[in-house]
Amino acid sequence: MKTHSIRAAFSLFRISTVDNLQYRAAAFSGAVMCVFYALIDITVFTVFYKYGSNSGSSMSLSLTQMASYIWLKQLMLPPYGICPEFRAKIENGDIGLELCRPWNLYTHWFAKLSAWRIGGVWWRSIILVVIALIIPRPYKLGMPVSLPYFILFLVSAVTAFVFWAAYHMLVTAVRINITWGEGPCVILLLVGEILSGLYFPLQMWPDFLQPFLTVQPFASSFDLPLRFYVGSIAPDQALEAILLQIAWTLAFIAAGRLIMRRKLEKLIVQGG
Amino acid sequence: MDKLIRMEKIHKEFVVYERLEGKWSLLKGAFIRTKKKVEALKEMSFSINRGELVGFIGPNGAGKSTTVKIMSGILNPDSGSCVIDGRIPWKNRIEHVSRIGVVFGQRSQLWWDVPVKDSFSLLKDIYNIPNSSYEERLYELLERLQIRDLLNTPARQLSLGQRMRCEIAAALLHRPQILFLDEPTIGLDAVSKLELRTFLKEENEKSGVTVFMTTHDMDDIEAVCNRVMVIGRGTLLFDGSLSDLRAHFGSQEKEDIDDVIVRMYHDLKLLT
Repeated sequence: MKTHSIRAAFSLFRISTVDNLQYRAAAFSGAVMCVFYALIDITVFTVFYKYGSNSGSSMSLSLTQMASYIWLKQLMLPPYGICPEFRAKIENGDIGLELCRPWNLYTHWFAKLSAWRIGGVWWRSIILVVIALIIPRPYKLGMPVSLPYFILFLVSAVTAFVFWAAYHMLVTAVRINITWGEGPCVILLLVGEILSGLYFPLQMWPDFLQPFLTVQPFASSFDLPLRFYVGSIAPDQALEAILLQIAWTLAFIAAGRLIMRRKLEKLIVQGG
Repeated sequence: MDKLIRMEKIHKEFVVYERLEGKWSLLKGAFIRTKKKVEALKEMSFSINRGELVGFIGPNGAGKSTTVKIMSGILNPDSGSCVIDGRIPWKNRIEHVSRIGVVFGQRSQLWWDVPVKDSFSLLKDIYNIPNSSYEERLYELLERLQIRDLLNTPARQLSLGQRMRCEIAAALLHRPQILFLDEPTIGLDAVSKLELRTFLKEENEKSGVTVFMTTHDMDDIEAVCNRVMVIGRGTLLFDGSLSDLRAHFGSQEKEDIDDVIVRMYHDLKLLT
């Protein structure tokens, strides 16, 4: 890729982030909702941990780890559905104008998408972290287990972000086929969310599923960084896990680019 | 003369889904769809010289926008060849679009929520315009289009006339060789229309930009273009100067040009 197109992507990233930072009221209400859901989640799990027949030490995550997992989950919560800007552009034909720019649409939208996500969660994250840290135990967001694990968490959280963007771009590329409508994309996103541990931590799933769950791609988007934070992954598996995460991310980028190129060849631009 | 654009036998079809007729049509339609092929362009051929000002007219649905979209690299035609400045638009899209400018009257290429000047500086990065050249060009366009005072206003707060002037500036910042305009004067008031026409004519004289404009406003053609092409049902029906067109289809001298066009559409059986 040429340097100027990278600069253009950064420039786009900057303008979109600034654009999204304007919506502080939305960020505040988003934070309130996240806190609310986190508290309900933790309450429900507390009840299960206390009164469940299979409670206590046999759980793969302790209650404190679970609380941290839930807070981080809210922090990294992906937005619902496809980026509204892309959906609108595909539906009303403005995608045509995007194609009149001298750059690859995939790169261009990847930058926009990342900016949309970061701009949207910036304020929310600050509010959330503050609340999560001052709230009393066992609801509190715990500290990372150790410094090396925290660094691993940061690395894999950044990769997870890129993975999410790559997956979202793949779904967006599928969406370019307007006659299919929203359905296939909603299903794709939902499958991804379930397998990422968003609804239920992957470690709590039955044991026989574990080998599959740890190698499937969607563990990369969510579960892995959280495991590093709460320390529920063995040190000798760390490197392997991160390499696998990077490999999945690259694979999804390649697949997304391919699908997008195919779909653009058969593009129908709506409207006069 | 130097042929800048060469279109040969360009053919483009779209598939349209139709609802069945009859009593249970709605219900049946959920299971069976009838496809209909619509030929948007039938073996369209023409060529345009460098520096020409071409007006492209025809009734709604004639294939005007499709032609523009093919020439600007957005759509792939089903067959035929199109070479613009030595490049095939949809194959060498990125190189091609960096040398053209587009304005779609019904769409906006400006960032909706950010000041116009931010949109401009983003375009500078996208088209990789060197600093000095950008400053000089921006200054010139700001003066000639009288948009200096609008620079700090977000695009959403501009009136249509103001926005269109900004759109034109945005399309010309990178000094394109060809300017594609799709209904640029739609919805503009009389003053804005006149200013826009004068500007286009001037710009063509100053920089030698080739202008290809679709419109329904015959005054646009009369004021700006030295060549008219008439398209109907996907084929080219007339190609020549406006006075030729008058001589061909007009019944008397000084007949209003709109009346001439109405007669022509009737004679060519373009209206259903």
